[in-house]
Amino acid sequence: MISKEYRFEAPRDLGQALSLLEKHGDDAKILAGGMSLMPTMTLGLVQPDVVISLNHIPNLDYIKEEGNLLKIGALTRHDTVRKSELVKKHCPLLAEAASFIGDVQVRHRGSIGGSIAHADPAADYPPVMLTLGAQFKLQKAKGERTVPATAFFKDLMQTALEPGELVTEIQIPKLPDGAGSAYLRLHRVEGNFAIVAAAAVVEKGFRSARLGLAGVGPKAVLVDVTARLKGGVTDAALKGVREDALKASADAYGDLNGDADYRRAMAQVYAERAVRTAAGRVR
Amino acid sequence: MKVPVKVTVNKKPYSVEVDTRMILADMLRDVLRLTGTHIGCGTGSCGACTVMLNGETVKSCSILAADVDGQEVTTIEGVSNGANQLHPVQEAFVQHQGLQCGYCTPGMILSAIQLLKENPNPSESDIRHGIAGNLCRCTGYQFIVESIQAAAKAGVKV
Repeated sequence: MISKEYRFEAPRDLGQALSLLEKHGDDAKILAGGMSLMPTMTLGLVQPDVVISLNHIPNLDYIKEEGNLLKIGALTRHDTVRKSELVKKHCPLLAEAASFIGDVQVRHRGSIGGSIAHADPAADYPPVMLTLGAQFKLQKAKGERTVPATAFFKDLMQTALEPGELVTEIQIPKLPDGAGSAYLRLHRVEGNFAIVAAAAVVEKGFRSARLGLAGVGPKAVLVDVTARLKGGVTDAALKGVREDALKASADAYGDLNGDADYRRAMAQVYAERAVRTAAGRVR
Repeated sequence: MKVPVKVTVNKKPYSVEVDTRMILADMLRDVLRLTGTHIGCGTGSCGACTVMLNGETVKSCSILAADVDGQEVTTIEGVSNGANQLHPVQEAFVQHQGLQCGYCTPGMILSAIQLLKENPNPSESDIRHGIAGNLCRCTGYQFIVESIQAAAKAGVKV
């Protein structure tokens, strides 16, 4: 049993949820999959006055294509993302990353919107969102806006979400024809957060190359390595990618899985491997 | 604060009142008296509390009882056809010594059933990934993997 009492709200539509969120503001916590919220509440680390569950709202769980965008409802579970034919076809990087999240049970329950709003520095989605150029639809009781991933992730578990706002949709541009992508992560135990993770997208003819890193600082970072790869995957290009990864992990943190220097070293290794693998997948 | 919850567990409808702070695992054990679901870590890591929610395995320590209103849950008590029968996956665990202390076993069996439902012919690697969310501190996993392999080989219907 969770020790502190709170009010439980299970709105049946999005409008109700947004009104409740507006009313309760910072006293409320949004419960989506709960894979981070529930354990922290059980441990007493988070003690909201109100819990607003999104799990009874229909139509918040979908994956559809609209023009050049893939649109994913915030409550879509990781396992649905992992298995989606649309995601595999247009953003295989996202399906690959989703398959690494937690374990089977966690992927059945955890949601993409929840993970993004939580903004853990070692989570799998943020570097992928940066690399794919995703944007997030944020809604509140009165109004909505769309924020690019690069402006959304602010700091350690800090996002651009304002009081009363909810992430309702993830919008991802489809990868251009022939582009290669790869998601690689270092972990000691399956199901743990990554120690370091690297996402890479390389476009055909090396027109562009982007690298996303997680676990290397308070938030995931995006590195444009297009100039490095102008002449293809050469030793010099990969050396340049490693240098960029080292620079991007200047604010690396240490914990029981590894100190900051270890993370910086692994960031370089995984950055190089991700870029090399993505380039090898260009068709 | 108490809230009413209508939930179907092992195909049987229940209507109960639960504290909003109660987790699903405690509701199953303490309110419905279905004590086959175990609680290990309580924080979503060990998988001892694994049950099926609407046909998919989840960790019942990390879901609020209040949040399963209107949903369908299957626990280890609901996997076989009768009180004195075992599910074929349970039978395989017995035959191949897929357990020692038994604490992780209900969750492990549900994860094995989930795996075989999606992948009737899993490789050893598929099996190890499939049970990655369930910790066992006794067996070293080898006999668990062999039990699931045996169940798959026998072509059990899950």
